[in-house]
Amino acid sequence: MNENVMMAARMSKTGAWLHYFANPGRFLRFVRPALPWAAAISFALTVAGIVWGYAFAPADWQQGDAARIMYVHVPAAWVAMSGYAMLAGVSFFSIVWRHPLADLAAEEIGPVGAGFTFVCLVSGALWGKPMWGAYWVWDARLTSVLVLFFLYLGHIALIRAFDNPAHGHRAAAILAMVGAINLPIIVFSVQWWNTLHQGNTISFTGGSKIYITMLYPLLISTVAFYLSFLTLVCARMCAAIMERRTRTLLVAAAERES
Amino acid sequence: MKFAVFINGSYGVTVAFLLGVGWLTFARYRRAVRRLRAVETR
Amino acid sequence: MRGAKKRRLYLVLAIGLCLSAAVGLSLAAFSSTLTFFLSPRAVVAKHPAPGMNFRLGGIVQVGTVKTVINAGTPTTSFRVTDGQASVPVVYTGLLPDLFREGQGIVAIGAMNASGQFAADEVLAKHGSTYMPKDVEESLKNAGKWNPAFGPAPAADTWNTMKVKGSGS
Repeated sequence: MNENVMMAARMSKTGAWLHYFANPGRFLRFVRPALPWAAAISFALTVAGIVWGYAFAPADWQQGDAARIMYVHVPAAWVAMSGYAMLAGVSFFSIVWRHPLADLAAEEIGPVGAGFTFVCLVSGALWGKPMWGAYWVWDARLTSVLVLFFLYLGHIALIRAFDNPAHGHRAAAILAMVGAINLPIIVFSVQWWNTLHQGNTISFTGGSKIYITMLYPLLISTVAFYLSFLTLVCARMCAAIMERRTRTLLVAAAERES
Repeated sequence: MKFAVFINGSYGVTVAFLLGVGWLTFARYRRAVRRLRAVETR
Repeated sequence: MRGAKKRRLYLVLAIGLCLSAAVGLSLAAFSSTLTFFLSPRAVVAKHPAPGMNFRLGGIVQVGTVKTVINAGTPTTSFRVTDGQASVPVVYTGLLPDLFREGQGIVAIGAMNASGQFAADEVLAKHGSTYMPKDVEESLKNAGKWNPAFGPAPAADTWNTMKVKGSGS
């Protein structure tokens, strides 16, 4: 009788555990087989884009070879912003639907996105010095991207700052969603205010102000950086799910033994 | 190539970041797979 | 359970709306401070006091650049225009690579007693148009564009244009 009650209790506990891991488990099952392929394609495209931009794309009429920095700076900037948009999106899911996979994604997007933002800032500074005559100026575009970088850093710190992970996820999700207001400011800063930074070259509405032989390497680099970002985030999420499962199994084994 | 220092610097930072984060992620992933397998087959 | 989720959804949306409105209004209110530089028109209208530092941005007016080399250091005088007003600028020192007539620049400095803008620093503001040199030359030769007089023509007239020798 007593044993039956205990059994039922364990069953329901197991059921809750399964329910909790149902979606991350499914994610792992679907994503893991695709990871080697995604990694191989990202690697090949990144090599192609970087080599093409560095060595084979034509020099610009105005900026000469310095325009080659565009092929790493611009894709890094786009990925940094899209990464933050994804972060805000999963935070929205986390706040409203309390989806465990969304918290996992938020935890893993942060460091990768911050890295791409850093690449964007450094390559931009190295582009600014020879062209503008200054590594850094406090114009609206540069400042808003620096704010994006600090938002990423704040999110990375906040999501890991609590003893109870759920509190960290909640607080970081709020930060990510509030910070999303910075994204339209970054995009439109060059139109709303006088900035030293040039305007947008690629537009969806009009023609792109870039010659086709320079557009191809830029597009390849962009696709490559996006795919690399997604692959990295997915691989880190899979690793996190497996780490969590390992911990749960170890705890369960320890409980059985005691 | 004019401005070689700046171009090489930008590409260097980018490549270093991509290789670095790629390697760290791969190492973490491999370790997670290995540990999970060790615990599951215990 | 459904009710709680719906409530959270509406709460998040309402807070997001309020926050965007607040940020949007403050940006609109502070837009003059967020502007990196003043245009010549604004300078002519506002008459900044001599000695007060600000940034002046515009196009280097064609035919106004004069350089005098004094003991090895060049002193350049030119006018910066936005098409409606222009301000005379003097600068002592080496100019950035991209400095030329028709180029956008941002100069940092202050007005001096003789009504000129004395720049401590000149930054080049380049356009967002990317094309190989030979495409630019063929546009120039065809009379479609002179970089000294304004931005490139509509992008779809040249961004896939066939030009000999502009491969890959």
